[in-house]
Amino acid sequence: MTDESPVIELKNLTKVYQNGVEFRTLDNANLRIKKGEFVAIVGPSGSGKSTLMHLIGLLDTPSSGTLLIDGKDVTKMSDKERSGMRNRILGFVFQYHHLLPDFTALENVMMPLLIAGKSREKAKDVAEKLLKEVGLEGRMEHRPGELSGGQNQRVAIARALSCSPAIVLGDEPTGNLDTKTGDMIYELLRRLNKEYNQTFIVVTHNEDLASKADIIIRLVDGKITVQ
Amino acid sequence: MRYELLIALRQLRARKFQTLLSVGAIALAVMILTVSHSLLLGVTGEIYNITVDKLPHVSVSPEEGEDYIYLYGTLVGRIGSIEGVTAVSPFLTGQASFRFKDNSLNCELRGVVPSQENEISSIEEDMVEGSFQEIEFSRNTVVIGSKLAEKLEVNPGDSVDVSFPNANLLSLRVVGIFHTGSPLDEVLAYTSLGTAREFYDASNAVNGVSVRLRDFNRDTEVANEIKKLGYNAKGWTETDPAILRFIAIESTSNAVIYGLIVVIASFGVVSTLNLSVISAKGQIGMLRAMGAQVSGIQRIFILQSGILGLLGALFGTFAGVLIALAIGQYEIPADPSDVYGSISFIPIVVRFQDIVFIIFAVFLLNLITGVYPARQAAKLDPVKAISSK
Ligand SMILES: Nc1ncnc2c1ncn2[C@@H]1O[C@H](COP(=O)(O)OP(=O)(O)O)[C@@H](O)[C@H]1O
Ligand SMILES: [Mg+2]
Repeated sequence: MTDESPVIELKNLTKVYQNGVEFRTLDNANLRIKKGEFVAIVGPSGSGKSTLMHLIGLLDTPSSGTLLIDGKDVTKMSDKERSGMRNRILGFVFQYHHLLPDFTALENVMMPLLIAGKSREKAKDVAEKLLKEVGLEGRMEHRPGELSGGQNQRVAIARALSCSPAIVLGDEPTGNLDTKTGDMIYELLRRLNKEYNQTFIVVTHNEDLASKADIIIRLVDGKITVQ
Repeated sequence: MRYELLIALRQLRARKFQTLLSVGAIALAVMILTVSHSLLLGVTGEIYNITVDKLPHVSVSPEEGEDYIYLYGTLVGRIGSIEGVTAVSPFLTGQASFRFKDNSLNCELRGVVPSQENEISSIEEDMVEGSFQEIEFSRNTVVIGSKLAEKLEVNPGDSVDVSFPNANLLSLRVVGIFHTGSPLDEVLAYTSLGTAREFYDASNAVNGVSVRLRDFNRDTEVANEIKKLGYNAKGWTETDPAILRFIAIESTSNAVIYGLIVVIASFGVVSTLNLSVISAKGQIGMLRAMGAQVSGIQRIFILQSGILGLLGALFGTFAGVLIALAIGQYEIPADPSDVYGSISFIPIVVRFQDIVFIIFAVFLLNLITGVYPARQAAKLDPVKAISSK
């Protein structure tokens, strides 16, 4: 695969909600994202940012249009195939970390690898390395309840990276954090992106942070403009 | 370890109180079930021992189309050599009309060899007057049931006239009275084989053979072996199915009642798990995002329900067996007038295969009831689940 072929390609991707009146949450979106790019998505609340992330993340299905990931049409896949792709190719960081409260940071990072069927030893090696990477080597055996918001979000980032996904999706990953911690998380994402050459797509309200991205996608009322 | 089991176990451990409560409720229900089942098995076992003990375990009758069994001496020998047969008693029986003074009654007059018949029906234990063996020693004598004696108003030493169409009129002296407490007391009289032959005019033949077995559960098997010899034979389960029916009804109603208690206890688990599905929405959505399939999410909850059921079943049967065995140690004050006077302990039977079955059935039941919360979890839209806090 050459650098020119996109990892993600949207062709007239549309999501419509039908609550009495028709509501176009995403309207004919066309977009090509290449390997290793850092993409920032900005736009007012309710403009369809999360909807776009859920579609690309295979958590939701489009009403019409085509979505290609790694050149494959993913819109018509079964739950098993989509689950498999989420596990191997995609990594997620959401506004809420949704860490499993009864598991340690280390175990939480191991979880995607265990879901992939990897052995505990292998999963542990990878998870330890990633937790060091996000600066939590001293907190591996702590549970989410014993960690701060910023620390938990860093655990969530390590978890998103554990299966070495081609694409990492962040939907307002710094939304629940104070500005200073948010900036730190954002710097961390940028550094990991440069280090591993993975594609990052991050929704943010912070224009200052967005300006540092390779591509800025602006969403207004479900319509995309690329800058 | 699969991630589903890992998560299931961890969640159960995290919800210690609810887990303890669920396991406790199931264990209590299973314990009651185990104790009542052991008691039922013990009591029905005693009922078998008391009632079946006095029945012929296998009854042999003549071949199809024949009235009599000739050369019965050979047959008795061949049946006696069948593995598990402990006694064989040939008899010649039929209807007879008994008359004493103005009283007249019809009943069964059965000619037997007393020593052999006693091994089948233990009638000597039931003699209230006279001796059963006497019919063998003195000609033209009879032993009759207590109700029959009462109705005819006869006492030992009295002679009764016995007649029947196509039979020879005889005068028989009453030498004994038995009392079994069963309807037989009104309808049965014993005499010797020789006297019966004279009465029914059947020289050197019998019309039935009673067989006793070491293990009365083998009745059908032995009956089938005797059939191979060319005779008609039936086990007690075929001739007296009422006993089996009674025990079957008892066992079924018992199983239904205590089974329901276990089901109710298992439904407690469903509501606990439903709550945990609601409180773990975000985590379930995240697991889906990490690549867990719908089936994987379902397994997490079915496993939790199954594990709770299995733990409850293990603790419940363990406690139940201990309690049942303790009850079995309890001595009942003896009361010889009672029918159950011979039992001095509460009868308890703990059957290993039944315990294994209970554990397995409760585990299975909980796997099934776990399907409902599992469905609830699987139905969650991952997008909405993730957006929830
Ligand atoms: N399940 C749904 N049913 C109806 N409307 C929805 C649903 N989910 C989202 N929407 C609407 O779609 C629009 C875009 O939502 P979203 O993608 O979450 O926006 P953003 O993330 O940019 O704030 C909103 O106006 C929202 O009300
Ligand atoms: Mg949003």
